[in-house]
Amino acid sequence: MHEGSIIIQVAADVKEIERLNKLVRQFGELHDVPSRTLYAVNLALDELVTNVILYGFKEAAGQTVSVQISTADSELVAAVVDDGQEFNPLEAPAPDLNAPLEDRKLGGLGIHLVRSLMDHVSYERTGSQNVLTIRKRIR
Amino acid sequence: MEIQEEKQGDILIVKIDDHLDTSTAPVFEQRLTALIDRGERKLVIDCGSVQYVNSAGLKVFLLAAKKLEPLGGRLVVCSLTQSVLMIFEMIGFTRIMKIAPTLEEALRVFGPAPAA
Repeated sequence: MHEGSIIIQVAADVKEIERLNKLVRQFGELHDVPSRTLYAVNLALDELVTNVILYGFKEAAGQTVSVQISTADSELVAAVVDDGQEFNPLEAPAPDLNAPLEDRKLGGLGIHLVRSLMDHVSYERTGSQNVLTIRKRIR
Repeated sequence: MEIQEEKQGDILIVKIDDHLDTSTAPVFEQRLTALIDRGERKLVIDCGSVQYVNSAGLKVFLLAAKKLEPLGGRLVVCSLTQSVLMIFEMIGFTRIMKIAPTLEEALRVFGPAPAA
């Protein structure tokens, strides 16, 4: 994997996710990010950015979400930054994966995927911004 | 998204393609709900062409399985690609849904085909 970074501005519209995923894939291929890692990062970013677009703003129109990705030797770090209401998705309760079908809840699947796919996930409120950072090591 | 349906006896095979995400999941959900509402109880979802699924798409499988169970129906998911199977395992769906490696094996879950 090669060292590099990219900042992608995404309009707060779920239709933008496809463009985001395309750009992340291009960046990943250019920087020799292993395809499994790229798949995981793309899915995690999809979940996080979709969450912000759907629930982060009182009025999503005209808002943007910033995705910052950087690669070093053995780690990819990505941050999702938005100016929406203060919200830490990591506080959501984890789904009970052992529950029988009738008791399985529909919520919390996305953030569970993010946690499972990444090596480290953290949230920070910086000034008026939500900053969600994910890290994936390359083995 | 393209959704194809094929009936084999009393089993309905639903084949979906490519991307099951926030934009396409509502279409898939509406279709599955309509099929269950019209009385389909044995459903096979053929995911052989699905390359990508996010939580919005996963939710549709869970919803359909939950809807079918009290009706005495069953949802079988088959032919998952490697990366999508990994996601199903990660989210615990392999414990609550029948996952078959091929369409043939999915059909066999419902027992032998009735004699013609």
